[in-house]
Amino acid sequence: MTNTRLLRFYRPACLALLALLSLTACSTSTIIDEYRVTDASLELGNGEQVVIMGRRHAGEYETEPDFINCIGNKLATKGKLKVMPEQVFLDSFYPWFEPRVAPLKLRRMGRMLEEPLIAERIKALGIRYMIWVNGNTETTEKKGTFSCAIAPGGGGCFGFASWDKASSYEAIIWDLKQLDEKGRVNVETKGSSYLLAVGAPIPFIAQVQGDACDGIGNRLKGFFLKGAPETLPPISTNRALSNQRALSNKRASRESDD
Amino acid sequence: MEQMKKTRFILIPRLTLVIASILLAACSTNVTVTGDYPSALTRSMPYHVGLVLDDSFTNYTYESGEEQDVNMALGKSQTKLFNQIFSDMFSRSSQLQTASNAPAQNIDLIVVPHVEEVQLAMPFETRLNVFEVWLKYNLQVFNREGEPIADWLMSAYGKTQTRFLKSEEEALDQATTAALRDAGVKLIIGFKRVPEIRDWLEAHPESTPLAQRGSQ
Repeated sequence: MTNTRLLRFYRPACLALLALLSLTACSTSTIIDEYRVTDASLELGNGEQVVIMGRRHAGEYETEPDFINCIGNKLATKGKLKVMPEQVFLDSFYPWFEPRVAPLKLRRMGRMLEEPLIAERIKALGIRYMIWVNGNTETTEKKGTFSCAIAPGGGGCFGFASWDKASSYEAIIWDLKQLDEKGRVNVETKGSSYLLAVGAPIPFIAQVQGDACDGIGNRLKGFFLKGAPETLPPISTNRALSNQRALSNKRASRESDD
Repeated sequence: MEQMKKTRFILIPRLTLVIASILLAACSTNVTVTGDYPSALTRSMPYHVGLVLDDSFTNYTYESGEEQDVNMALGKSQTKLFNQIFSDMFSRSSQLQTASNAPAQNIDLIVVPHVEEVQLAMPFETRLNVFEVWLKYNLQVFNREGEPIADWLMSAYGKTQTRFLKSEEEALDQATTAALRDAGVKLIIGFKRVPEIRDWLEAHPESTPLAQRGSQ
């Protein structure tokens, strides 16, 4: 009798909590800043290709290879752009783009291209643009606890945990033919994930890195293909893509790092 | 009955030993480094180099018994790397078992690498979500007469972030492969910059063709 009363009391409370969680869970917010030197699409001749590289010189983090592959796949969708896989590029130019010696600035890249061996291979492979991506995704906060137990009669989990993730990436496009910078894209994504365990664990995972990849990939695609930013994914009910700011040409006078 | 007692007497300690050794092995991390290394994009120097890789180098295994038992066999992988790099850096490279074989093969430079030190940093030690590996080599360089030219201490570093559901073995393999790739970078870029080696290279200009020297 007492159990029935308890169930009557807790069932609506649990359902309300679940409904609340499903409304707020997995929400991510993305801010994209874009800077273009010119409004015109970047030209890419026949046989020319793009390479996307992750920065890995910092001690405390490395730009994830999976993230670089994800952006590459976004750019290469439907075969409109030819993208060279990062590892293939690194192996073809070993040791010149390894973390210890990779050029951080365009001026250093220019000096590297004075070496005929490197310049010839760049030309032979038709690499026109090099996109450097710097940043990472990290867990910023963890709250709550849950535990699982197993016994001869069965098992289960009980508890609640939540964690916040934040992605921050910057992509810089270098034109290796003209040896200048063509633009930058900054993306900041934040999101919270939850794990509710009442018997079985029910996860609500926010795709923080995935959303950052969508944001940066589609923006970069817009540099090469006209109208590509329109291909941004539709904003779903539980995924808020907010505050997209295109700063095209506003910072055209901004000097490159060099 | 007697027979059964005898069998038990023999079997029980053996079983205990087997179980104990299985449990011990389960607590240690055993890694065989499996990395592959690309061909280097570098101009080869016109010398015949003899790379002395003895058993202590080719079968090198790092063993750490501090907080956690780690056995890491990196001999084969580092042998692959050194052979690859030296064959790219020089117009001719031969692997030797001992330096005494060098004069018979008309070798210009003899390089004898030794592993000086290996250090690992695991997430449980550093509280960081990263596996790190440091390698320190001592490269002794001799001329064809066996006179020492340089003693070069070279260090390399590699790291890998822990990935979801990735085993410690895989992460350590990746971090060590990254450290060996970094060692290759150091070899290619740093070898000519070692003052004693640079002096030797200047004293023996590249213009002296190897074939000509071989015919002398």
